[in-house]
Amino acid sequence: MTQKKMTFLQELLGFVGLEDRLHLAWISSAEAQKFQKVVTDFTEKIRTLGPSPLARDYQKAVSL
Amino acid sequence: MKDTVKKWLEEKQVDMFLGYKMVHGHALPYCFQADRLDEVDDLVVSRERYSLEKMATHIAAVYPEMKIGMLARDCNQRALKVLDIWDQLKKDSVTTFNVNCCPSPLKNHGDCSYLEPSPVGPVKVELGIDNNMSVEHAEHLDQKERFAHWMYEFSKCIKCYGCRNICPVCFCKDCSLEHPELIRSGGALPTEVPLFHLVRAAHMAGRCIDCGLCEDACPMDIPLRLLYRKVGSSVSDLFGYRPGIDEGKSPFNLIGDAPTTEPRPI
Amino acid sequence: MEYKLVPSICSYCGCGCGVLFEVMDGQLVGTMPLKSHPVSQGKLCIKGWNLHEHVISEERLQTPLLKTNGALQEASWDASIQTTAERFKKIIAEHGPDSVAVLASAKVTNEENYLIQKFTRAVLGTNNVDHCARL
Ligand code: SF4
Ligand code: SF4
Repeated sequence: MTQKKMTFLQELLGFVGLEDRLHLAWISSAEAQKFQKVVTDFTEKIRTLGPSPLARDYQKAVSL
Repeated sequence: MKDTVKKWLEEKQVDMFLGYKMVHGHALPYCFQADRLDEVDDLVVSRERYSLEKMATHIAAVYPEMKIGMLARDCNQRALKVLDIWDQLKKDSVTTFNVNCCPSPLKNHGDCSYLEPSPVGPVKVELGIDNNMSVEHAEHLDQKERFAHWMYEFSKCIKCYGCRNICPVCFCKDCSLEHPELIRSGGALPTEVPLFHLVRAAHMAGRCIDCGLCEDACPMDIPLRLLYRKVGSSVSDLFGYRPGIDEGKSPFNLIGDAPTTEPRPI
Repeated sequence: MEYKLVPSICSYCGCGCGVLFEVMDGQLVGTMPLKSHPVSQGKLCIKGWNLHEHVISEERLQTPLLKTNGALQEASWDASIQTTAERFKKIIAEHGPDSVAVLASAKVTNEENYLIQKFTRAVLGTNNVDHCARL
């Protein structure tokens, strides 16, 4: 169910211009290294994407 | 049509029939009953579309045994199917008199608001989203543009909740859009843009039957139908399910089904 | 079982949007927009959408409230009208008629609102009268 919902949400968010900011991964409590890797990679990705447009561009977008 | 409805009422095949009748020049939804059989002569198929199935749901909630007859366009029929699947209105209790939508250039019998879309003005083209845009076109706008234009549209929302109230397949008793812990309401309007619309869109997945009533009811002319069309096309692309057309429960209603999609790479 | 849809006009403001009331067995159970209405064209604001709720609301005031000792307290109609009249008289005597104002409501009939403005202008002697439906 989570898998389905997340895939759908990624589609929906992409449609309104908020793509790539949602990620789902299965990590068991025994997989510390995987956890570390996923979190680092995703943090890195978000860093390259920059701050959320919701915070940054909102004022600009509405006053366009 | 009138003869059939009369016959149904007389023979108690239905206890009541929901159709339209002209009152003071307005076509209004009207409940025809056997004790006032003459009135059936005034039955019309109106150009205006109301969600007769929503009214039927309200009636069935109080009188579960009632056999309801109903005038049904294509969208009504789709909504009825979804309501049956979600146990809101069982299909055995509803008898429909199916009519096509009214005339338009696209369909000999078609009157949906979307068959003859009205053109949008220059401000909307410049800043917002053309209500008549196709999902494919909207998907291919550049990310910045897409975001800015959708935010322009969403930020117009006056939170009338009309889109939720009018929707034939919106029936939850406790709506997440009113839940104080899930969505911030009150304070300055409009709040929580774009959460309001995205929450609603996500909840319509597997349910929205693309009737367009929400966009019709939106005082701010937000292209809701386009947003929900995207919801519909995602659900049908990802899970192969089209609400109101395909049989069976929505993919979001089945727990334990093996996922057909994989987590996406970072 | 009786189910009716009654066309009406929203009483909340001066726009006059068309509404359709859902009436089941004599009970108002819902409101929806009147699609063919020339003013509102099938759209409503949140107040119009919830018109039926104040009719059946449990929280509806049944008696007037008088502010006594800094708190609003339930009072009888006679006592409230008496107090209002006395206070009006006193204020007008001290500061003149333009020191009072009357706010009318869209929830009463046209005729009653007419009486309210007549009362304000002719009896109290001021033009300070307004109405929540005058947008
Ligand atoms: S188009 Fe709008 S009103 Fe119709 S089913 Fe979808 S969300 Fe509901
Ligand atoms: S109908 Fe339009 S304005 Fe009203 S809540 Fe929905 S999106 Fe907002």
